[in-house]
Amino acid sequence: MKSLVYIERKDGRPVNGSLEALAAAKALGEACGVVIGAEAGAEIAPYAPVIAIDAAPACDDEVVALLEALIREKTPDAVLFSATQAGKDYAPRLAQRLGGGCVTDAMTLSAEGNALLATRPAYGGTVYEQMKVIGPVKFATVRSGCFVRPEAGEPNPVETVPLSAPGGAVKAKVVETVTEITEAIDLEGAEVIVAGGLGMGSAEGFHLVEEMAALLGGVVGASRPAIEGGWVSRAHQIGQSGKTVAPRLYIACGISGAMQHISGAMGSKYIVAVNKDPDASIFKVADVGIVGDALTILPLMMDEIRARKGL
Amino acid sequence: MNILVCVKQVPDDYAEIRLGGDGKPATAGAGTVNNAFDTYALELAVRFCEAHGGSVTAVTIGPEGAQSGLKNLLAVGAGKAYLCAASGEADEGGTAALLARAVELCQEREGAAYDLILCGKESTDEISGQVGARLAERLGAAFVSGVVEAEPSGDGLKARQETEEGGVVYEMSLPAVLTIAKPAYDPRYPNIKTKMAARKAVIPVLELGAAEPALVSCLGYSEPPKREAGVVIQEKEAAEAVKKAVVMLAEANVL
Amino acid sequence: MGYMISEDCKELLKDVKDFAVKQIKEQVKQYDISGEWPREIYDQAIEMQLHMMDVPEEYGGLGLDHIDQAAIVEQIAWADAGVAVTLNGNGLALKPVLIAGSEEQKRKCCDIIVNGGWGAFALTEPDAGCDAGNGKTTAIREGDSYVLNGRKCFITNASVADFFVVTAMTDKSQGTHGMSAFLIYKGTPGLSVGNHENKMGVRCSTTSDLVLDNVRIPVENRLGEEGTGFATAMKTLDLARTWCAVIAVGLAQRCIDEAVAYAKQRVQFGKPICRNQAIEFKIADMEIRTEASRQLVAHAIRLADAHLPFGRESAAAKCFAGDSVMQTATDAVQILGGYGYSREYPVEKLLRDAKIFQIFEGTNEIQRMVVGRAAINRH
Repeated sequence: MKSLVYIERKDGRPVNGSLEALAAAKALGEACGVVIGAEAGAEIAPYAPVIAIDAAPACDDEVVALLEALIREKTPDAVLFSATQAGKDYAPRLAQRLGGGCVTDAMTLSAEGNALLATRPAYGGTVYEQMKVIGPVKFATVRSGCFVRPEAGEPNPVETVPLSAPGGAVKAKVVETVTEITEAIDLEGAEVIVAGGLGMGSAEGFHLVEEMAALLGGVVGASRPAIEGGWVSRAHQIGQSGKTVAPRLYIACGISGAMQHISGAMGSKYIVAVNKDPDASIFKVADVGIVGDALTILPLMMDEIRARKGL
Repeated sequence: MNILVCVKQVPDDYAEIRLGGDGKPATAGAGTVNNAFDTYALELAVRFCEAHGGSVTAVTIGPEGAQSGLKNLLAVGAGKAYLCAASGEADEGGTAALLARAVELCQEREGAAYDLILCGKESTDEISGQVGARLAERLGAAFVSGVVEAEPSGDGLKARQETEEGGVVYEMSLPAVLTIAKPAYDPRYPNIKTKMAARKAVIPVLELGAAEPALVSCLGYSEPPKREAGVVIQEKEAAEAVKKAVVMLAEANVL
Repeated sequence: MGYMISEDCKELLKDVKDFAVKQIKEQVKQYDISGEWPREIYDQAIEMQLHMMDVPEEYGGLGLDHIDQAAIVEQIAWADAGVAVTLNGNGLALKPVLIAGSEEQKRKCCDIIVNGGWGAFALTEPDAGCDAGNGKTTAIREGDSYVLNGRKCFITNASVADFFVVTAMTDKSQGTHGMSAFLIYKGTPGLSVGNHENKMGVRCSTTSDLVLDNVRIPVENRLGEEGTGFATAMKTLDLARTWCAVIAVGLAQRCIDEAVAYAKQRVQFGKPICRNQAIEFKIADMEIRTEASRQLVAHAIRLADAHLPFGRESAAAKCFAGDSVMQTATDAVQILGGYGYSREYPVEKLLRDAKIFQIFEGTNEIQRMVVGRAAINRH
């Protein structure tokens, strides 16, 4: 199966999820990355052959138009995206334009004849669905943390394609970009994650989670109530509507363990849970659980860890 | 502004859905609710019209029983509601096609076009998140996903999309299709009078016909891999519990 | 289990439950500690019209079936009995107006409530509780006015009310037949709120003294004829007792739910404690008492709706539900053991909330007098 993989870039680098999607595509057969910007082709070349679209689109509508033109020209069997916000927008829009089927959040992908098979989560991650996509061109977004990103090797060929979006492509134009969070948060690549939820009680309480993460050299994660409480930015969200993570150590603090959250952390090697409700479902998946108020337990735990590390 | 809100009925997402004895998701016991993101869309639409004027219509494709969910929307600000009946299994492309047809039929009945069509950013059952984007393409309308704020701007619309980094503000001409994420507010509660009046409403049913042949089909279901529960430490003294836990972490070599 | 309610009310009840769970149940913990009146919760309750369920439909009310109403009140009481007592306070204040008031008085008081206001019923005095006929508050006729003097105590909603129904002696020599009822509006000179009770439970409701110091009101503010005040008050309490029992049932249901949830997950001697017959039977008794209370309530409501005598049934429902909830709350604390006694866990509050149901709107001793006399007089 011949696939194109849209490579999303952030801060001048391909995002992890896109490289993972590239790995998924390689397993299906012939795979080629697609990147926007002539200069970006060389970045992707160490991983796979790449098509660099020589254009500078101003907004999503133009990106979609450029990708549509490229797909029509290259006639791939499948087009893959990382399941990021952009990927989740582009894939169904292009699928609609090209008359293709689309699956989102694929955790496994395989080819069966001319069909694409995928496993994806439903119902907050409590059920997996085996999906089959048919049609001349098939679309999928690939869930992060499910494929191993390819190793960089000798550069592959780069094909630069000059394209321009047709006039009238832009229906919604960007008038302002508000950046509230500047720090880069790499939850997917983190070795240690300390995550906080409703049980942290307040933004102040949530600082304990940040302190613990700093102590262990880890990244701060959060469940939905902590995001909705405004204690931490959305970029930290783990779960069905956030990131899927697979760290070596995952410490869940004041998180009850709704499936919507747990499904994003199931890949963790070792889970520690702190919750005052002994009946919390987080304890059903934790390697070690402590029943107690996270606001009391975390400071004690940090003292104990510091003592052990001789700090 | 005339706003149409597309609402899907889903198993109550407060219930944890597992596979039943027949190998299919056991949704029967969960009860049916309006998809949470769609209720956010309705609240955003109602607030928009309260601030700037206009009308809000809700539409659902579903069986006869879906009337109940639509009545509940009439109690929290929807001015009108239509139930659409369709046959066959629709995938996301098929659903978008049916909705496009529903838009057409509703517009015929109303004698006016919708300026703005809202969908939840995803449904809590399938979590596919495709239908809004596909509907926009189908209608040739402007599209912005994950919107949390909207306001009129000249003859068009300004909408703020929520992103991981913060937000992006778009300006667009109408008609437009937006998908709605969780805004800063919760949907309102109905008051008893409007609720009881809405429960007595008669919801018109529109026939959409058969769904297009699906390109995406579900072959079967499986359970996610299970994790074994480990040790749960419950001590009278918190310090004692913490000591025990940290010893275990050290032994497991994860610190 | 539960009341038999209409399909439409089931949908309404889902919203009320959602409100009770998300906006009341956890929020009241802080108010239980501070004793502050949770205005924010009541503002939302007013938005939902939960404060005006006793306003008749012809005066802008909701026209709810009374069994449907009971299911809603029970759901709110399940989340917090004090919140239910406050909301019910409007019904209590409105009942004497609807029993004895003129068309204009009814409309005025209903309008106040429909527009988000509160009412209070002021009968009890420091020296006249069970013996309400022994009140010291007086109303002296002066031309087209009455002048009221005295002190009322334990008045629910007094500090927030927009109108008060106050009983006072117009002719002491006539005993209970010398008592009259009056409507007094907030802001009337001489009317003030005295001491606030720092209560053991139902702390989300506000209870205070009401002080009448030469309060001059027009004659038109009298409810019914002179001398009918005591009868009006007794009819009011007959009706109100049923609703007091409804709240007790909601609170008892919460006790059961908390105790069962705990008993299922608490493992001792290698099994959940609910598998011990000692616990299982205790839960069964809680359930039996509560369901019996609920059906006594339903029966009293149906009799009242059918305009049949219901005084005995209403008193029986209040007495039984009040004693039951006290026992059920005690049992819940026992099932949770040490945690039941801890303020970290919810049931100690439930026990504090429960006690009032044996005391207010007629102590359970008074209820037994009502029921006992009815039984004896029948023979």
